[in-house]
Amino acid sequence: MLALLPQLLLTGLTIGSIYALVAIGFVIIYNITGILNFAQGEFAMAGAMICAALLGAHVPLVPAAAVAVAGTCLLGALMERLSIEPAFGSQPLTLIIITFGVSMAFRGIALMLWGADPYSLPEFTPGDPLTVLTGVLGRQAMWAIGLSIVVVGALFAFFARTLPGAAVRACADNALASRLVGISPRRMALFAFTVAAGVGAVGGIVIAPITGATYDMGLGLGLKGFVAAVIGGLTNAPAAVLGGYVVGMIESLVTGYLAPGYGSAITFALLLLVLSLQREGLLQTARRRQV
Amino acid sequence: MNREFAGLALLAAALAAVPALAPSAYVMALFNLIGIYAIVTLGLVLLGTSGQVSLGQAAFYGLGAYASALLARNLGWSPWLSMPSAVALVAVVAYGVGLPALRLADVFFVLATLGVGIIVNVLMVQLDPLTGGASGLRDIPGLVVAGRRLTTDRDYYYVVWGAVLAALLLARNLSGHRAGRALRAILGSEVGAAALGIDVERYKMRVFVLSAAYAGAAGALYAHYIRFISPSPFALYASLFFLIMAVVGGLTNVWGGLFGAAAVTLLDQVVRAEMPRIFPRVGGEYQTAIYGIVLVLIMIFFPSGIVRGGLDLRRLVARVPHAAGSGGPADAESAGGARA
Repeated sequence: MLALLPQLLLTGLTIGSIYALVAIGFVIIYNITGILNFAQGEFAMAGAMICAALLGAHVPLVPAAAVAVAGTCLLGALMERLSIEPAFGSQPLTLIIITFGVSMAFRGIALMLWGADPYSLPEFTPGDPLTVLTGVLGRQAMWAIGLSIVVVGALFAFFARTLPGAAVRACADNALASRLVGISPRRMALFAFTVAAGVGAVGGIVIAPITGATYDMGLGLGLKGFVAAVIGGLTNAPAAVLGGYVVGMIESLVTGYLAPGYGSAITFALLLLVLSLQREGLLQTARRRQV
Repeated sequence: MNREFAGLALLAAALAAVPALAPSAYVMALFNLIGIYAIVTLGLVLLGTSGQVSLGQAAFYGLGAYASALLARNLGWSPWLSMPSAVALVAVVAYGVGLPALRLADVFFVLATLGVGIIVNVLMVQLDPLTGGASGLRDIPGLVVAGRRLTTDRDYYYVVWGAVLAALLLARNLSGHRAGRALRAILGSEVGAAALGIDVERYKMRVFVLSAAYAGAAGALYAHYIRFISPSPFALYASLFFLIMAVVGGLTNVWGGLFGAAAVTLLDQVVRAEMPRIFPRVGGEYQTAIYGIVLVLIMIFFPSGIVRGGLDLRRLVARVPHAAGSGGPADAESAGGARA
């Protein structure tokens, strides 16, 4: 039993790093716009599928991945302009339902474009896996964990060290006041969706060589990423990343030790637990948003 | 109130005429489906009257179906006993879910119901010995009325639409009376309603349990009508589907719920028939693209539903000059309101 543990933890760490990337997207958008974006997982799907389609057309990996991330950023921006911006000022619930609608649309369109069969992506750097204790860590898993850390670090540097980053933080802190000093909340919302889409796309592309890329991979990734973000308190990016690892580990341990197939049920039971424990805390933190 | 009863009587008369006018099995089956969905949607509309939305209705719908099917099939209960028992069970489960979930702020309540929906669906697949797993349950007993076994779609038509009319009547009575006024007050302002002496928590719980019971009843009917159930019609996708039906009708309008169920079911039939001609090589749930876009458009342009959408359309037309000058003073004001 115990011999399995290192392997399960490494698997959890790998899948958790992708949940973390999706969760960061949730947090960025929630902080800046107050919207829970349930199309977040579809960004990961779009990144993976565009990349797979380009590889299928014999484009080398690096330009294919770059185009996939850029294309997904564009999708995020389009989503904001076409579905969120026209409903600006609506109830939070209306906006959430809109994001569910967008995620259904993305999924359906991906099915029309690419069909239901899974696409496989090659590993970024094929080679022998690394052995940690008794567990095996594949090269691609190292890419997943490493890239998630790099992306999180880059976002931190951006928010903490640059002027545009400060503008985003100002907008998250107090939209009215930031408008008075010339920061447009609407432009910030566009920015939030663009960046969140790009982060999601990176997650999708890096996990696709391990799990394959399918038109419906976004639903599960989005919901797990959301649970991770809620565990982290929804407003706190580092906590959301941690939440991503927690969800990944729990899922991996439940699948390995208890019962395969119950992984997502346990994850959502955890969501209900966190929601009911934090019922006051969540409201409190929702008022004090910060990047 | 008289107009309401006239409307109900007219609906009942029109429904009674349908089997004579269009007796084909296809039309009857279509109406039965609309009727079953309408009951779930009416539950969502009742919930919407108090300003709440659930993304877990498919779970209650599925629980009703599985509970009634198992009681009738494995324990040999009469469906007329197993169906109310299943509804009671669903109500108890909803109460258990509501205890923690209803304390959450509106958005987080939706997410809690979403979580419940996913957990229930996983259990349907995983509790294989009980539920038959992904392949589902076969040979569910059908209904027997006055010693006669119901077999055709037309037989079930009368049962399903009798249930829809009863559900409609109950929903109408509820929203026309004290409880309905209390729920609308809660929709307006929870704090305001509490200040008027309305027990907000109790009303929210009651309407949540009732909406789950509606879904459970529809599920039980579905199980004994189709006589085969599997987890897939009760997944998250179905909850979104029910939500679309409710928002098409306006989310707080009982008649709108009926309209929404009919409109979306018919749209679904058209899409399923026409889409393969446009995209011949694609199978599966491609129609979600269209529903997603429909959902987004309704939420943007007709947030109070298509039934009352005429009003909104006028507002929309009136708003066009503002929209052209994006960033003008009117825009700035609405943006400020959104952030408050």
